[in-house]
Amino acid sequence: MASVSATSLSFQPSLKLSTRTSQACYKTIVCVGWSRKSLPSLRSSRFRICAVQAQPETVQKVCDIVRKQLALPPESELTPDTKFSALGADSLDTVEIVMGLEEEFGITVEEDGSQNISTVQEAADLIEKLVQDKTAPS
Amino acid sequence: MSASSSATPSAAQVRSLFRSLQRVARNFPDYNIREYVKRRTVDAFRENATLSDPSSISSAFSHGESQLALLKRQALVYSLYTPSLRSVMELQQPPF
Repeated sequence: MASVSATSLSFQPSLKLSTRTSQACYKTIVCVGWSRKSLPSLRSSRFRICAVQAQPETVQKVCDIVRKQLALPPESELTPDTKFSALGADSLDTVEIVMGLEEEFGITVEEDGSQNISTVQEAADLIEKLVQDKTAPS
Repeated sequence: MSASSSATPSAAQVRSLFRSLQRVARNFPDYNIREYVKRRTVDAFRENATLSDPSSISSAFSHGESQLALLKRQALVYSLYTPSLRSVMELQQPPF
């Protein structure tokens, strides 16, 4: 896995291809705002190598929604483990973020499920699970 | 109509009311009404977020509940008369 990280450190557009070929290992993508070109689709070069359930695109979308909801400046750091309360979000903001995620992904989050969401990673995991539950019984 | 409890609604109930109001906004076919309902609920809940007096909290809560009932009725009525021409804001791509 160390070799994968070495290839993904460049900032060229080919970065997208290298992350796609290595989709087999799920990586936590650190949503750092200072990516050289501020393209939302450009994967950040810095990531931690750990197996998680959520796909990078899901985490990225969740990060975008949180950023838009809380009106964060682009250079603020937003990692998957950042707590919403640390970003200045109160419970109303959390509910709004969950509603935004529901609309974006076409899922319905249960009442008690939304109470426990406090970080980006938890939201992404919950979304993944709900999307899988929705498509599986078809 | 269930009797509104004299006890102060809990934070979870308030959040649940907020979610219900946001959810009912989706049932409106009219773009303007949807956006207005979402905006208005956010504004009202933020404005009342700092209330500390229990009676004013429960009166605000029961007001919200009556508005929710109203919205549910109106969503039904509006959906009966959906115009065929949707709002230009909902177009997936710009007309030109």
